[in-house]
Amino acid sequence: MDKENILEVKGLHKRFTSKGVTVKAVTDVSFNVKPGETIGIVGESGCGKTTLGRCIVRAYSASEGEVFYRTKSGEELDFLKADKKKMKEIRKEIQMIFQDPYSSLDPRMTVLDIIKEPLRANYPNMSKDEMDQKAKAMAEKVGLNPTYLMRYPHAFSGGQRQRIGIARALVIEPQIIVCDEAVSALDVSIQAQVINLLRDLQKELKLTYLFISHDLSVVEHISDKVGVMYLGQMVEFAPAEELFEKPRHPYTEALLSAVPVADPTIQMNRIPLKGEIPNPANPPSGCYFHERCHYCIDKCRTDSPKLTTTQDGRSCACHRADELGLRGFTYDENAKTQKAGK
Amino acid sequence: MSEGNILEVKDLHVDIHMTEGLLTAVRGVNFEMKKGETLGLVGESGCGKSLTCKAILGINDRKCVPSGQILFDSEGLGKVDLLSLDPKGQNIRSIRGKEISMIFQEPMVAFSPMYTIGNQINEATRLHITKDKKKSKEISMEVMRKVGIANVEKRYNQYPHEFSGGMLQRALIAMALVCNPKMLIADEPTTALDVTIQAQILELMKELQKDFNMAILFITHDLGVVAKMCDRVAVMYLGKIVESAEASEIYANPQHPYTRGLIGSVHKIGSRKEDRLFSIEGTVPLAMNLPKACGFYDRCDVRIEGLCDKAEPELTEIAPGHKIACFNCPHEACRAQREKVEAMLKKEAVKNG
Repeated sequence: MDKENILEVKGLHKRFTSKGVTVKAVTDVSFNVKPGETIGIVGESGCGKTTLGRCIVRAYSASEGEVFYRTKSGEELDFLKADKKKMKEIRKEIQMIFQDPYSSLDPRMTVLDIIKEPLRANYPNMSKDEMDQKAKAMAEKVGLNPTYLMRYPHAFSGGQRQRIGIARALVIEPQIIVCDEAVSALDVSIQAQVINLLRDLQKELKLTYLFISHDLSVVEHISDKVGVMYLGQMVEFAPAEELFEKPRHPYTEALLSAVPVADPTIQMNRIPLKGEIPNPANPPSGCYFHERCHYCIDKCRTDSPKLTTTQDGRSCACHRADELGLRGFTYDENAKTQKAGK
Repeated sequence: MSEGNILEVKDLHVDIHMTEGLLTAVRGVNFEMKKGETLGLVGESGCGKSLTCKAILGINDRKCVPSGQILFDSEGLGKVDLLSLDPKGQNIRSIRGKEISMIFQEPMVAFSPMYTIGNQINEATRLHITKDKKKSKEISMEVMRKVGIANVEKRYNQYPHEFSGGMLQRALIAMALVCNPKMLIADEPTTALDVTIQAQILELMKELQKDFNMAILFITHDLGVVAKMCDRVAVMYLGKIVESAEASEIYANPQHPYTRGLIGSVHKIGSRKEDRLFSIEGTVPLAMNLPKACGFYDRCDVRIEGLCDKAEPELTEIAPGHKIACFNCPHEACRAQREKVEAMLKKEAVKNG
């Protein structure tokens, strides 16, 4: 494991078998995460991004592969092979924020109890007062009024509930947060509030985010690096700005061209994709994307391209990545300098 | 009703009788739609946009009581006030689904899982066009082809669970269009879909709009979708329209602080990247026992103390087609309104000592 990394995912596979049919939900995904980074994972529904997130927190046990993790004490561990005791240790440091703020909170627990629960589960010896104190401090940090903590979740709006979910994830002081569509269910103005909160907390607590979302503009705003998934495979992984400006994989290009831009003067020429996402139980031969790709050559039908990293630190799984010169978003110069200085 | 308009909503109120009291979800909405145009109704959840649409079709929940006027230029009935019709009567039924139809938000929920797709599309055909089974099946299949469903003969007899989300939304559009309506209400038709599928469906709707020459009332909270689809936009907040204008105008020159906030809180890819997104603080208040004040007062960054919390601004035209309800707008018409209200408030204060 590289000394700079906090998390390394290597050759992760997840297969689900039901009635004799095997679905490859995640196939051979590898990437590295440095502390304090935000990694965005994008893709359409059914591409395996949620499964990937769940495998990383070991909510699902992966079929194959390794997830190396560096704990706060500097220990390197393979999370997927860790025994129960070690796993519990690691779980304290990797937490998750869920998509639906309505179903991810127990309606029969008070908000205080919900935020306290991770403490109760992980620190059985902690005194009640200390737990209360910690939970209240965290509630305040995420912008919840501490006088409301004895209420039940139904009394809160969607944005506030998502804040409760964030407080619950942060109360045991984790290093990595997996945000699975954390803002998708919220209205735009509330979305902006929660995204700002996540960024403030990241700075303050030095958090590392794995931000799973289908909303490309949110991902572009929050992420340092972005991984694009298609049918369980990572097809492209690159720094956010470069990926949006000069995509290398045809699927990324098509995905970007479909984003609705909140400006009627800009008309993007959409690159239509042929057909629908293939059935993951019966994926096509060669490159999984070749049936829908506009740049498909004979080689794509037979050979499956590997995710290869070029010298500039970008990875792409396409036979023709170097020659295509695909189209992305145009950035103004201001935006670039702004981001470089960040 | 003016010539060329297909729909005129006048002073629409929707009251919801709850155990806690009376909630006025829609508080005096006025708008009109021309034939063949697309009007976007934008706002956060709870601002009353869905209730407005349901009031048009008369499919509100029993607890919701609409009042006001909704004039519709109907083919069969001439110019009618839809609210005056019995929601269970023959008249509204001849309009509902035939002249005005609706696409719902979640295609997975909108279809019954127990009947085939073909059967459900056919329901509208048999009700409004022909009782002949063979003919109605042909018409339904034709529309299915039009919305881009491949292999119609097989698809017609399949159940909803055999369709993907995007295909199901196409089927739902087919169901709405099968009777050739003059007006389509689309309630967040693409919110549940992926971006690539969303783009396909939006393009399809635009194409079909040209073919069928329909007016579309497009409800959404996604400003990107609005920019792509709509001719005109009306922004709703707390049961009222606070700004309405041509789509290009509203993006280039938003006047109401809420509209500015909404547009500002969407991050544009490739734009100048600041650390924080612009966000409107606070949340939408509950529309119960509202004080006589601007509904946006608590969250507004340009509010005027002593004015905005005492009176409610009315929708004023500041340029042809551009209306706004805000006291703190430098435009003449708004200033005139502000002075008038200020004078009135002063008088009242004197009267009350």
